[in-house]
Amino acid sequence: MTVLLHVEALVVEYGSGDGTVRALDGAELVVEEGATVGVVGESGSGKSTLGAAVGGLLPAAARTVAGDVRVGGVSVAAMTPLQRRAMRRDQLGYVFQEPIGALDPTMRIGRQLGHVLRGQGRAAVLDWLERVALRDPARVAAAYPHQLSGGMAQRVAIAMAMASEPALLIADEPTAALDSEVREEVLDLVFTLAAGAGTAILWLSHDLPAVAKRCSRVAVMYGGRVVESGPAAEVLVAPRHPYTAALRRSVPSAAGRGERLVPVPGQPPVLTGAAVGCAFAPRCPAVLEPCTVDRPPLVGDLDRDVLCHLPAPVGAAR
Amino acid sequence: MRLIGWWARRVASAAATLTLVSILIFAASRLMPGGFAEVVLGPFATPEQQAEVSARYGLDRGVVEQYGLWLAAVLRGDLGTSMISGEPVTVEFLLRMPVTVELTLLGVAAAAVIGVPLGIVTAVRAGGRGGAAGRLAGGIGVSVPEFVLGSLVVFVFSRFALGLTIGGYRPLDEDVGANLRSIVLPAAVLAFFAVAVTARTTRDAVMGVLVEPYITAAVARGDSPFTIVVRHVLRNAAMPVLVVLTTITAYLLGGAVIVEYLFNLPGVGSYVVAAVGRRDYAVVQAGVLLAAAVFVVLNMLVDAATGVLDPRLGSAGEAR
Amino acid sequence: MTWIRGLDRLSLAGLAVLALLVGAALAGTLLGVGGAQDAIVGPRLAPPDGQWPLGTDQLGRSMLPRVLAGIGTTLLLSAVAVAVTATASTLLGLVAGYRGGWVGEVVLRGVDVLYAFPTIVLAILVAAVLGPGRSATLASIVLVTVPLMTRLVKVAAETVARRDFVTSALISGASHRYVLARHVLPNVAGTVAVQGTYALSVGILVEGGLSFLGFGVQPPASSLGALIQQGGIYLLAAPWLLVWPGMVLVAAVLAITVFGDGLRDRLEPRDSRALK
Repeated sequence: MTVLLHVEALVVEYGSGDGTVRALDGAELVVEEGATVGVVGESGSGKSTLGAAVGGLLPAAARTVAGDVRVGGVSVAAMTPLQRRAMRRDQLGYVFQEPIGALDPTMRIGRQLGHVLRGQGRAAVLDWLERVALRDPARVAAAYPHQLSGGMAQRVAIAMAMASEPALLIADEPTAALDSEVREEVLDLVFTLAAGAGTAILWLSHDLPAVAKRCSRVAVMYGGRVVESGPAAEVLVAPRHPYTAALRRSVPSAAGRGERLVPVPGQPPVLTGAAVGCAFAPRCPAVLEPCTVDRPPLVGDLDRDVLCHLPAPVGAAR
Repeated sequence: MRLIGWWARRVASAAATLTLVSILIFAASRLMPGGFAEVVLGPFATPEQQAEVSARYGLDRGVVEQYGLWLAAVLRGDLGTSMISGEPVTVEFLLRMPVTVELTLLGVAAAAVIGVPLGIVTAVRAGGRGGAAGRLAGGIGVSVPEFVLGSLVVFVFSRFALGLTIGGYRPLDEDVGANLRSIVLPAAVLAFFAVAVTARTTRDAVMGVLVEPYITAAVARGDSPFTIVVRHVLRNAAMPVLVVLTTITAYLLGGAVIVEYLFNLPGVGSYVVAAVGRRDYAVVQAGVLLAAAVFVVLNMLVDAATGVLDPRLGSAGEAR
Repeated sequence: MTWIRGLDRLSLAGLAVLALLVGAALAGTLLGVGGAQDAIVGPRLAPPDGQWPLGTDQLGRSMLPRVLAGIGTTLLLSAVAVAVTATASTLLGLVAGYRGGWVGEVVLRGVDVLYAFPTIVLAILVAAVLGPGRSATLASIVLVTVPLMTRLVKVAAETVARRDFVTSALISGASHRYVLARHVLPNVAGTVAVQGTYALSVGILVEGGLSFLGFGVQPPASSLGALIQQGGIYLLAAPWLLVWPGMVLVAAVLAITVFGDGLRDRLEPRDSRALK
């Protein structure tokens, strides 16, 4: 498979001086063509920053300190504005958390979708609304965003993101703001449309088991770094990083019947600069002396990368 | 039906505001020390002479009665008679309206044509808070008052003959060239402030829209800045801009007193101010009431426009 | 003074200019820097010179002490007026925003009525009723600045009153007085600070305009507006009579405006986005 997205040692900071916050602290990520990758982390882990960095969408307050993002082998930072727009238009699709907010409140749905379809006409608009399983497309097309439910608006947003059949769809917590009944339907829709178009998915989420269920690969983020990655099933069943293990135990759907839910103790870190040791050290149950002093190295065995001074061996349950 | 109810409520509220304005301005004009009779007859008049003048203009009646008579006349469309000139106030105002209207149109046009694009461009270019230089430039625009800028303009154009005249206003229908030569400078002084305020408001409004998630979504789709501004920013940022343009219009129609004074223009503003000094009650009352009416009506229209511009607010802002 | 640290350089520069002007006014009025403002020291309308660094006016008085005194008068009048406005607007805005109902309606209606008067005409009417002078200037500034600040305090109070912590405080038995003092007031303080700053610059402009038209501070007392008005008369013969007070007035308003902008950004931080 060819590599579609390569995030290389990316460091991104917000603010300056005393107020600097380091959101990404050397994040590494690879997405191959057509792959489905879930990026899992708590809020503040840097996953949204990572998602925004892929499309060059960081807010003005953010600075890329080091590292690189390459889409199709081309550095996003090195692109001219024109090239970057072409990349966003042809290769990327974004779906955001707040579906209604992501639509222009003053414009009818039909017109907004029509703009994305670049003058293919009303028939194409209605066709797309039907493809995202919206009943009564004509009524939806004539509606304003505030007249739709969250689930309907998210379907529209998905249609707008998938209309150009992008190579990569970045979905940042696409169901977090939706009612629980429609979450699965919306995810089904995303994965079906992407599979049909050969689109790779980068799904940013806080729910490890949900991600592992649908994605082929999982990357776990903590303190602005990807601390573990690998095939979804393996990461879920046999985590190598203590944080992944703790994360797994803290989510209801992952715990077996009769097992106790164990919340991850402590708070996620807010970095003001490069972490000195391992960012997870203060919360780690198996912390060693080097953990607080040295940045953990990348340990890669059999496609199972982990950033840890004492990683669990591949295949062993932690 | 909802729409009719909305308008009925707005009109009632406007009428209430104007009634209060009428009471306030009437009270203020009668509270001014030194009545009309004193001012018009001078310091050496006898009390009998003053009483005779007061009686002639009905100023010897009770205050409430005077107010009632005035209000009834206004409601009939009769704004009264200037006690100084003896001409109907309406005629006096119509005589001075051309100057005021011309200044207003030029000032608002400049604000819309220069101020709005300037605000949009600086907001989009800055992409954030903007540099100190931009903020400083914007600050200077709103910090140079008419009486300073106007005085400097008068100085420069009086000292050096630059083809434009200070004072010597000629009506538009008499001599277009002479009219423009006499109105360009005062209009420019007014426009300076109007443009600065409009640009500042537009810039704030646009920057507020630029951080909305639907703008991020449009950027993520690869739309060009121009497309994004035209499609999404203009309409969503329109409301505060409309409000400031309306406020400027109402302000200028109420009379650009300082500029009229500086450039010796026969406009409504300086006429009303002069009437205050002469205790020409009818003119003062009518002037303030008309300016307030313009303000209130314009605001009502802006409120109606809110509902049209933002579908979330439903028909004419009902859902708020 | 931690809030100062969050301000950017431009806002700090504004604050510095303002401090400089206050210092200059104090030096002129308390320490007598530049000499007596009403003493005739030289020929009439003399250009700036070693003895009278800013020139002399139409009576031969040195302009330097007059400008310094003018700064003092203008800043003091505006500051006092803004203090009155801030107090009145905070009270009215809290009542309208927190209490709401018909009381709120009455407050807003009153404020709307003031809004509907053309600014300069309103100020001149006040001057006509009270007689031209300092108290008329003061009252004018208050009446011109009260409507906007009251409205914005009302909006801020309304927003706070709907927040969860206010509801939970009320449920747990806190009195309205306690909630207002403890929760609502601190949350509208930022609005009052920012609007108070802007109102200060409006105050300087109203004083200037009113005095310029002859309804404000009366000679022989000096204020920036009164000096500009007199400078206008002798503009062609002695431009410096107008230039000095004019420049100082613009500098003061500009300094306050950029400081207010910085304060607003500090208290109501906003994200930003480039379209690139």
